[in-house]
Amino acid sequence: MKEIVVISGKGGTGKTSITASLAYLGGKDLIIADCDVDAADMHLLMAPDFGQSEDFYSGEIAYIDQDACIKCGKCQDVCRFDAIPIINTQYVVDPLGCEGCGYCARVCPTDAISNSQPKVGEVYVSDIRTGSTMVHARLSIGADNSGKLVAKVKNEAKTLAEKENKIAVLVDGSPGVGCPVVSSLSGASFTVLVTEPTVSGLHDLRRVYELVKKFGIKAGCIINKADLNKSVSEEIKSFLKEEEIILLSEIPYNVKFTDAMTNGKTIVEYDKELGNIISESWNKIIRAVWNTGDPK
Amino acid sequence: MKIVFTAKGTDMNAAMDPRFGRTEYFVIFDEDLKSVESFDNRAIEGEAHGAGPKTAQKLGELGAEVLITGNGPGGNAATVLKTMGTEVYVGAGDMTVTEAYEAYKAGSLKKA
Repeated sequence: MKEIVVISGKGGTGKTSITASLAYLGGKDLIIADCDVDAADMHLLMAPDFGQSEDFYSGEIAYIDQDACIKCGKCQDVCRFDAIPIINTQYVVDPLGCEGCGYCARVCPTDAISNSQPKVGEVYVSDIRTGSTMVHARLSIGADNSGKLVAKVKNEAKTLAEKENKIAVLVDGSPGVGCPVVSSLSGASFTVLVTEPTVSGLHDLRRVYELVKKFGIKAGCIINKADLNKSVSEEIKSFLKEEEIILLSEIPYNVKFTDAMTNGKTIVEYDKELGNIISESWNKIIRAVWNTGDPK
Repeated sequence: MKIVFTAKGTDMNAAMDPRFGRTEYFVIFDEDLKSVESFDNRAIEGEAHGAGPKTAQKLGELGAEVLITGNGPGGNAATVLKTMGTEVYVGAGDMTVTEAYEAYKAGSLKKA
């Protein structure tokens, strides 16, 4: 069982649209994991049924037991985040302000304060319209994505894939180069880098590839909107060559790319010309991952 | 020489865990004593951030001289391991621990 992770570094390159197309092409052979949980969008294209859900707890937040509180105000004095206001004569913790540092609990003379893990979101296992299953999550407002959540989503997906004898887990990876991306990449067999020919597109591609390289993961790249800036596209291609990254395809700019999304369809369903380019990329990915055209 | 493997189980027949920071177990093979021990690292699931450096620190406590894993470690963990002087070999994610040891002995694993 393999793990294919799609990342981009920069936002807005078309990563999720392309991942959804690959999910459509792979159909029942894949389990999908949406690890871009800050702005999870795969559900817009995959029509999940939110069949199973589980609460997700993470981080730390202080809680004041009002029965034990003697209203001395020491907690409020030491809080560096001004997160303990007085509401209706009671000292309470502002959940958005609290960083969970635990200073208040330390100075409380009656031990009325303790730290607990708040619920920050939900993890779902859904049937999707490709006939397969997707593991995805939704974070509460203000909650941050973490390696922990990404690892949870991926683990659920991997367990399912092994149980149901799927060929691979397809992961819509997290943006950036931080902790969630490290967790997205950890354990991957192949990385698909989606980029665009802009200065920031290339810059972020280089940054995120440093991470991929550190992990020693084979990589392929899709240059989306490739014709919008031919000179940067050439720069990207020479970077790929230098780093021995497979050029999977160059997708020309086409308004149908966005039309597909607004119609709730993947690109491969919506437009034949763009669809063929992505199908070709998928075939190249299969050959790179399994060393054969038919992984089953 | 103490060699540590990231694994999904506790003995030499276990499958390797390709992940470093969030590996489920370590299998610790002492080449001199020919002894096999394991360490349960699953408490790491509860860590939101910084799993890599924490696991690297654990490796230091275990006295590992060589680490064999799948495709980790990330930047921060790599710095910790480098400072400790731990040798890191990657590319053993699809193997069992025994296979990974044999590949290491044969020199076919990539040094990170």
